[in-house]
Amino acid sequence: MSRPPTTRRVRTLAIIAVVLVALALPLTLRAFWLQSGLFAMAAVISAIGLTLLVGRSGQLSLGHAFFVAIGAYGYCYLAGDPSSPLASGLGLPPVLALLGAVLAAGLAGALFSPISGRLRGIYLGLASLGLVFLGQHILFNAVPLTGGYNGRNAEPFSLFGFSFSDGTPEGLTVLGVQFGGLERLWYLGLLLVGVSWWCARNLVRSRPGRALATIRDSEVAAGVMGVNVPRYKAAAFIVSSMYAALGGVLMALVFGRIVPESFGLTMSVDFLVMIVIGGIGSVGGAVVGAALVTLLPLVLNRYSDLLPLLAQPGSSGISAADLSRIIYGLAIVLILLFAHDGLAGLGRRLGSSFRRNADGPGSPDRPMSDSPTTKELAR
Amino acid sequence: MRGGGPVAEARGATGSSAATAGTRDALLEVTDLHVSYAGSVQALRGVSLWVPDGGIVAVLGNNGAGKSTLLRAISGTLGREGGAIDGGSIHVGGEPIGRRGASDVVRRGVLQVPEGRRVFAALTVEENLRAGGTAARDAAARDRARGEVYDLFPILRERRRQRAGLLSGGEQQMLAIGRALMGSPRLLLLDEPSLGLAPLIVEQIGEVITEINRQGTSVVLVEQNAAMALRVADHAFVLEVGQISLQGPAAELARTDEVRDRYLGVGAEAAPATDVPAAGATATDVPPTGATATGAPSADAGAARPAGAAVHDLVVEGLTVRFGGITALTDVSFTVAPGSLHALIGPNGAGKSTCLNVLSGVYAATEGAARYGGRDLTRLPRHQIAALGISRTFQNMALSSTETVLDNLLVARHRHMRTGFFSAALRLPGARREAAAQEATVVRTAELLGLGGVLHQLVSELPYGDRKRVELARALCAEPGLLLLDEPVAGMNFNESVAMEEAIGTVQRELGISIVLVEHDMRFVMGLADRVTVLDFGRRIADGTPAEVQADPDVLRAYLGTEQEEER
Amino acid sequence: MSNLFGLVLNGLSLGAIYALIALGFVMIFKATHVLNFAHGSVLLLGAYVVGVTNDALGFWPALLLGIVVAALAAVVIDVVIMRRVRAADLGTLAILTLGVDVLMVTELTRRLGTATLTTGAPWGTSTVDVLGSSIPLSRVIAALVTAVVVGVLWALFQFTNWGIAMRAAAADGGTAELMGIRLNRVAASAWGVAGALAAVAGIFLTSFPSPGISPTVGLVALAAIPAWVLGGFDSFPGAVVGGLIIGVVTTLSAGYQGDLTFLGRDLAQVTPYAVMLLVLLIRPSGLFGTKEVARV
Repeated sequence: MSRPPTTRRVRTLAIIAVVLVALALPLTLRAFWLQSGLFAMAAVISAIGLTLLVGRSGQLSLGHAFFVAIGAYGYCYLAGDPSSPLASGLGLPPVLALLGAVLAAGLAGALFSPISGRLRGIYLGLASLGLVFLGQHILFNAVPLTGGYNGRNAEPFSLFGFSFSDGTPEGLTVLGVQFGGLERLWYLGLLLVGVSWWCARNLVRSRPGRALATIRDSEVAAGVMGVNVPRYKAAAFIVSSMYAALGGVLMALVFGRIVPESFGLTMSVDFLVMIVIGGIGSVGGAVVGAALVTLLPLVLNRYSDLLPLLAQPGSSGISAADLSRIIYGLAIVLILLFAHDGLAGLGRRLGSSFRRNADGPGSPDRPMSDSPTTKELAR
Repeated sequence: MRGGGPVAEARGATGSSAATAGTRDALLEVTDLHVSYAGSVQALRGVSLWVPDGGIVAVLGNNGAGKSTLLRAISGTLGREGGAIDGGSIHVGGEPIGRRGASDVVRRGVLQVPEGRRVFAALTVEENLRAGGTAARDAAARDRARGEVYDLFPILRERRRQRAGLLSGGEQQMLAIGRALMGSPRLLLLDEPSLGLAPLIVEQIGEVITEINRQGTSVVLVEQNAAMALRVADHAFVLEVGQISLQGPAAELARTDEVRDRYLGVGAEAAPATDVPAAGATATDVPPTGATATGAPSADAGAARPAGAAVHDLVVEGLTVRFGGITALTDVSFTVAPGSLHALIGPNGAGKSTCLNVLSGVYAATEGAARYGGRDLTRLPRHQIAALGISRTFQNMALSSTETVLDNLLVARHRHMRTGFFSAALRLPGARREAAAQEATVVRTAELLGLGGVLHQLVSELPYGDRKRVELARALCAEPGLLLLDEPVAGMNFNESVAMEEAIGTVQRELGISIVLVEHDMRFVMGLADRVTVLDFGRRIADGTPAEVQADPDVLRAYLGTEQEEER
Repeated sequence: MSNLFGLVLNGLSLGAIYALIALGFVMIFKATHVLNFAHGSVLLLGAYVVGVTNDALGFWPALLLGIVVAALAAVVIDVVIMRRVRAADLGTLAILTLGVDVLMVTELTRRLGTATLTTGAPWGTSTVDVLGSSIPLSRVIAALVTAVVVGVLWALFQFTNWGIAMRAAAADGGTAELMGIRLNRVAASAWGVAGALAAVAGIFLTSFPSPGISPTVGLVALAAIPAWVLGGFDSFPGAVVGGLIIGVVTTLSAGYQGDLTFLGRDLAQVTPYAVMLLVLLIRPSGLFGTKEVARV
């Protein structure tokens, strides 16, 4: 969509500012914040994939965690030590393992497309829920691949001998700050987030993106315009799965160890929460939503001692974990009650009212558009 | 009862003479009503009308004139469709009801029979009636009402244990009326009760309405079938693009040229005579196949269509379509010569849109074939039909309203583009070049149709007429050899529809493509078409040049149905 | 062979409980098009109320109270929250109910703490012998109660104004509204009935052979989702049949776990979903669900 030049300039400046701040953060942040930030980045990447699927192509999925798991485990297996006694691997270079894991998830998405292509709306949503349970079952039981209940370690990421997980090569120091594993991983995360975001924005505004949006609004119209609907729906599932997997790889790298327990229904639903409160279909909304949902509990737990009200561990009363769940639940309910098109919709409305005020009366009032929704899905 | 005065021209914004005249003893009174959808689309612009206690009032108008909006406003169901009353008032029995909920309106004695009957198909006849009676005061009132309904429609009593979905169309209409009567209405709103019914049944419905009225219920009859409506009603209002354009006693209104021409379809015989030979000549000038690619279209048209699709014969043979137990099309055949404009006409529910839906792969044909360029369209998926160079518009428009006009138009370029997910995501140079080139093509087509200024607006922000043009522009952007148009002027006012007529004529002449046009506005079709196929109840009843078709007695009977009966 | 018979019988009785939960899902979905993630926590709430009050009130009054509280909670969710966002899309509505679920489960879990409450149901831990197979009495009663509930629901839908209004509203809300049916009331009552059914199911889910009322009971409600999907989202008979199928599949895969070790441990947790996916592959609208019709 074209914007007035001033708005576009403001936008560009804002993006540059955010990037600069993000680049500088490792110089000041402590490990906790770096790690939390990295968790958020992993979630952001996967959430972008889900918002493309749900918001752009209109396919509701509750199975995102399955594809995240393929990414995480795929990386660990492909990069893993072949001689490890517990859960062996192929010992590929980490970069190849990353690409392989992403491709494997794409393949899994393609394999699911006979089901996803036939189902709509809530049927698809709950069928994909089945994937999560099946996937978790495999993770628990395919012990040689996954390490079973105890999970398996993620091989540290490195590129041409430059490790992103520990201090090799030794003694990398920037402006007096020792750049260890977390700092280096931070930049890898930033790079992956940046590329993911950029690609998603490009996709939305391209031939495939428009085809998907038309499918979302009317499969009949899309078909009549020459779009091969089943193929594009499958392609959307594949792309979304690959995004999920890339996020999964980063997640594995940050955790260092992954267990099947993480990739359950809760994770799938959390991803849906991220994109819904961010605003379904909005790439920016997915970024904000993912950051919010990931950081909120981490921060609340960390700073629980600063909050009054809270009971000490062991006594009755509201614990920090409880409080973070309650805030999480309240946030969902309140955001959706007051802006059922999510934060992105809220932002659009605030922005337009700001512009209106700035331009004075008489400027065209952009009516609030329905956010691209899955409304049709219920039919 | 009101009446006796001369037919009033009420072309002003408010129709104020009507409003002030209607304050006495009116059961329903609508005053200067303004309604818009989604905050932008104006559906009603100052409508005033009234229904005297005990009267029957007809509201006439074409598709999209605002009839349904008016009914929604009265029954309090605008919100469901995203509409809102911006101004004016609605009074029933002297009390305002404009902004209350639907169930409240019902409890004040205003019940609506929705368009298309909409009986609860899975419920039995008796259960349907019960559903209609939920608003009744008590069980006794309900039983009494049910007895009256069964007396009025004995067939319903016979079939009371049957599922409503198994009833015939006419019986379903009776059930829908009976269901509303269960609420013991003071005012009954009937939304196109004649839709898709045989003339004989329409007559019956007309009689039923008269009888219901005789028993003391006031009636608002919203109709496209002006003949029946004007015979039954005392007073009539003509709604045109959200405004009352004419009103007066029904009998007098039926005699005015305007109504005869536009709504009764008579009196238009002479009009197309001059156009037809010219258009016919265009058709015969075009060689059978692929001629247009080598033709010499004008500069503008050439710009819109740099590399045309081949144009072929379209041969429809023995097309039959059944949905469940209903046969929508029976053994329909016709041929569209390359480069000609072929109109499919017929009353509402005749199967015109079904036919278009089969040609574009939306519906599956039960039997028969539609050959185009050596392929049978009935055996191809939608996108492969599109790949043959066939594109279409939708009657109710199927645009992505949350996307810009430009993006909507660019979708039509899908089959002319190659960019896939990978090159799009990375914005590879090839993808960028292609996007720029295609955007330029689309912009040219949009400018041709006067949409250059709105390319970057969201479709949801556009007025109705503009959206209709976007819909046409999108179909054209696909560079079709065969263009299927489903009621392109539905809901447009006279000037808009004349402009659209010109645009379609230009497109067809300049680009040399074939067009199949579905319309039930006779006047519009007769001026444009080279050849006309008339459908009625899913069967072809006539096929020929506009002049031939207009002289055909079968057509007159089907189309003007009740006019004939009056003459008998 | 008697092992198989016993497993099937056990499965059917477990399936009866799933059917009660699935009926609630269908009810809410038909009336308001909501995938209700909060259903499990309503169920837990009902069981919790019974667990807390049965000492003081006795079991039957406590049961009644639990059912009423659960029904009220469901109505409140609909009236206070869902009613404001009726037009929102499926994903948004589902996530809203999830938000509610998070709030309820967190609070209930905190209150439950580590102690395990019991419902104090009079059927206790007794079992009955049916043709040589031993089945917990609670499950037998569950099956009977489900049969009664299904019969009562059927009669309500056929013969009462409420039932007719409910069916009309579910079939075509717009037209029902034109007939004066108050959609908001129909919706709230559907939520209420679903809540009551959930509470009943909750009692049986927390009776012997399960240890008692624990926070995970709410999650068990999710096990009814495959039953719901399998039967078809908008079909009451589908919910019952789906529930029974999933119940049998669950007990069979648990019972023959030993012979199926190559499929991994805890097989019974995934077989319902596997069956659901298989059915959807063949019948995209479930066994009894309404097919979608393409419209233009």
